[in-house]
Amino acid sequence: MVPITYYLLLAAALFCMGMFGVLVRTNALVVFMCVELMLNAVNLTFLAFARMHGDGIGHVSAFFVIAVAAAEAAIGLAIVIAVFRSRGSVNVDDIRTMKH
Amino acid sequence: MDGIVEFFRTAPIPPEVFAPSLGLIILLPLLGAFVCGVFGKWLGRANVHLVACSAIAGAFVLSLMAFWATSDAAGGRVVSMPNAFGLDRDVVRYAIAHDYGTWFAAGDFRVNFGLLVDHLSGILLLVITGVGFLIHLYSTSYMEHDDGYWRFFAYLNLFVAAMLTLVMADNLVLLFVGWEGVGMASYLLIGFWYTDSAKAWAGRKAFVTNRIGDFAFLIGTFLLILTVSAFNRQADARDYAAAGSAKARYEQGLSEKGPVTFKGLEKMALALPEGVGGAVSLSTPIEAGPLSGYTFGGVMTATMLLFLLGAAGKSAQLPLYVWLPDAMAGPTPVSALIHAATMVTAGVYLFCRMSSLLVLSPTAMATIAIVGALTSLLAALIAFAQDDIKKVLAYSTVSQLGIMFMGVGMGVFWAAALHLVTHACFKACLFLGAGSVMHGNGDETDIKKLGGLWKEMKWTHATFLVSTLAITGIIPLSGFFSKDAVFHGVHHNHLHELHWVSGLVYALGLVITACTAFYMSRVYLLTFTGRRSPEARVAHAHESAWHMTLPLVILAFLSVVTLVYALPLMPRSGGGFQPLFENFLSPVLRPAEAVARAAKTVVLDNSTPGFVDYLIAWMVALSGGATAAFLYLKFFPAQVGKPVPAFARAVRRTAQNKFYVDELYEFILIRPVKFVAFILFRVVDALVIDTVLVRGTAYVTEKVGFGLRRLQTGDAQAYAAIMALAILGGAVYALLQVLS
Amino acid sequence: MNIELALFGVFAVMTLVSAGLVITARSPINSAMALVSTFFFLAGIYVLLWAHTVAVMQVLVYAGAIMVLFLFVIMLLNLGDAAHRGRPTVTRILGGASAFGLLAVLAVTLGRTQAMPAELGPQAQATFGTMAAIGQSIFTSWLLPFEAVSLLLLVAMVGAVVVAKSRI
Repeated sequence: MVPITYYLLLAAALFCMGMFGVLVRTNALVVFMCVELMLNAVNLTFLAFARMHGDGIGHVSAFFVIAVAAAEAAIGLAIVIAVFRSRGSVNVDDIRTMKH
Repeated sequence: MDGIVEFFRTAPIPPEVFAPSLGLIILLPLLGAFVCGVFGKWLGRANVHLVACSAIAGAFVLSLMAFWATSDAAGGRVVSMPNAFGLDRDVVRYAIAHDYGTWFAAGDFRVNFGLLVDHLSGILLLVITGVGFLIHLYSTSYMEHDDGYWRFFAYLNLFVAAMLTLVMADNLVLLFVGWEGVGMASYLLIGFWYTDSAKAWAGRKAFVTNRIGDFAFLIGTFLLILTVSAFNRQADARDYAAAGSAKARYEQGLSEKGPVTFKGLEKMALALPEGVGGAVSLSTPIEAGPLSGYTFGGVMTATMLLFLLGAAGKSAQLPLYVWLPDAMAGPTPVSALIHAATMVTAGVYLFCRMSSLLVLSPTAMATIAIVGALTSLLAALIAFAQDDIKKVLAYSTVSQLGIMFMGVGMGVFWAAALHLVTHACFKACLFLGAGSVMHGNGDETDIKKLGGLWKEMKWTHATFLVSTLAITGIIPLSGFFSKDAVFHGVHHNHLHELHWVSGLVYALGLVITACTAFYMSRVYLLTFTGRRSPEARVAHAHESAWHMTLPLVILAFLSVVTLVYALPLMPRSGGGFQPLFENFLSPVLRPAEAVARAAKTVVLDNSTPGFVDYLIAWMVALSGGATAAFLYLKFFPAQVGKPVPAFARAVRRTAQNKFYVDELYEFILIRPVKFVAFILFRVVDALVIDTVLVRGTAYVTEKVGFGLRRLQTGDAQAYAAIMALAILGGAVYALLQVLS
Repeated sequence: MNIELALFGVFAVMTLVSAGLVITARSPINSAMALVSTFFFLAGIYVLLWAHTVAVMQVLVYAGAIMVLFLFVIMLLNLGDAAHRGRPTVTRILGGASAFGLLAVLAVTLGRTQAMPAELGPQAQATFGTMAAIGQSIFTSWLLPFEAVSLLLLVAMVGAVVVAKSRI
């Protein structure tokens, strides 16, 4: 049997990579993909803990996370399209309207 | 005959069934006030009249039921309720009560929303709702030309609700709610015509003066709460045995009902006298707490004096009486209901309610009696020279309240309460009569410019005459008997080591009787008899509508028949007879008598007035009235055109200016307070609060915000990076906590 | 060395490599393709955790639907290679560092724990992670969140149309 700790370490690594991408990349689409990576890392922890406790609730949570991720992707991409239409760019450096 | 007695002894609604509905008596007028106040403008005049009057009428019917229930003795078993502070067999007879549960609690302090109707509050319920209903009916006609009718009736209903709360409360804090409520309603109604600044100021004056009294009332309540806890700490089994209780029961009562319930205070009063033994007596020092070092008796005297100041504010006694004459700025029905019949008697009610505590302190009682006597005399003297019919009646109210205070101060609580009831009837009748006179004469209030109205306003004249005779004290009207009952008690009761008070107060009382007779006769004669004054506003007065005369007739009738209460008809337990009302109130006042007997603070006299007493009182009253009749019917009409002696002019001017009391207050109190207020305004308000605190805060906030604005780059990734750093910080902190 | 651990090792390495490609690729298309491969390897890991249903869902929803959406948007916007990866600003350096820091902290924490999968009985083994078990759970004790999520999807659908459409 593989220790659950390995799975959790993998999830942590995946999460931190996703976070790194979110914080560093400039392309809004790639930022989104990195968010998906982070969500997947969370899913992995859920499933690992479900296996650890032999309890199905973690699976239900993962199911909900997938559904929310789908909704988030739909809205997020729509926003990207809208932003691109008005500014001609998906670079987060160019989108700095959240001030004064 | 037995059938009739049985009918009156069986309440139509059994007490235990009726008790939970006691709250409705308050709720109905409150609902009326809400409907009239919120929807009145849309409802129209007739509907507002209907709502307001029927709310009070409903409250009256419920009060009647409650009153009936307190006398219920169906099947030979007297209505009674358990006393939470006493032993199981210790019940309160002739009372119904309902506790609606905790109102608020903090630590071991607790106040319940409990209502109690016994014979004292029962009779007051009838007076408030009964007279209140008549005055509502009267107002429907009196206020027929006023645009603010809905406001008026909303306030009036609100007042009745507050007054009912005051009377039915079973604890001091709830009573204080009613106490403040009536003060607010009174303020609103005095300043009802607020566009007239003088009237608005009169309202403010009443409110501020009342606040001074209310402050003292609150401090008194706090002292009582501290005393109760000290008593509970120090008392031993013998003390509780004397009060008919036990420590466990008393503490259970405290935790269930809180320390300010009247029944609980009564138990403490029963345990305090020296005669009953035990660890606690009046001379025992309090051991711990903020009052440590003072004796129970000393604290009780201080408390009662504070309550005296509170009652003086509400009931217009020295030194706080100045607001009542100015309160006549309000509509006349308001003067009749609030400033004559009900609210101003709240102080008397308070002392009757706390009679068992009051008799512990002869000093406080003597102070009350003397304050009452001096107020009464001063007001009567001022009333001599007032020409405004409402002002005369106002000073007469102050004077009559002084008489009630004399009674309370000398321990004749039942007579004071009886005078309260009879005064409510005849003074309401007088005020309403005055209102009717004003209504029929183009709002003329100067009695010099009236006259000869007896032909034109027959009903008003007849009822005014009856109630004038009642207040003057002519046999066989109620005022004579109630006033004489007070004076008789005052004369024969003796305070411990303060025997001289009885004689002094009684002598003052006789002078007051003569003065009352004089000024009331003067008002009556100048207004109704003689020829019509050439300065009258309207050529012919007109009689008022039935809405106004019917209440007058009923009240005049009541001011005659309430005399029955003073007749010695009931057998006394020790032989002889006692007045009906004394017997009627004995369930309420018995603890006070027991305390007085044990503490030996007041020697209560049980004799009934004899023929000689009646004769003296009657002669005094008659002489006052006769002097007035001689002066105003014979002497002054003959003196017209002749110069008035300088001495008489000076006396008259002094009295007319109310002995310059207002000016005195202005000089020694209001000016310094205004000066301090001015300093506070300039330094504290304008400089510290406005400039430093308010504008300073805004200035600092603006500068800080301007600096912080630079951090707001609009770069979402930067914000995310800060979030990430925070998460990292939290994680590191958690890890370090786990590792260490 | 058992086969399960070997499979886990392969999948884990491939997942991390693909994820690394996602965050380093110049072109969004490459990122997206690497993300698809991440999802597939992750699905394999899910299977190792006996979460067959979620693994299927992962492939269907993520690798199928969401990735198609991404690719579709990339092509719609006609995005080529990024001219530069972005200036290394202070916030980027701080953010990247904090991501590594977090990884370090988590690694230290997890390194101190020792968790093993639960031993399941034959009955539990037969039902664990099956569609029936999850469905049972969702439609009984998690009905309200389920309905809320379905509402959320509806809102997202309408919202996406409203936001993305130039003129309604």
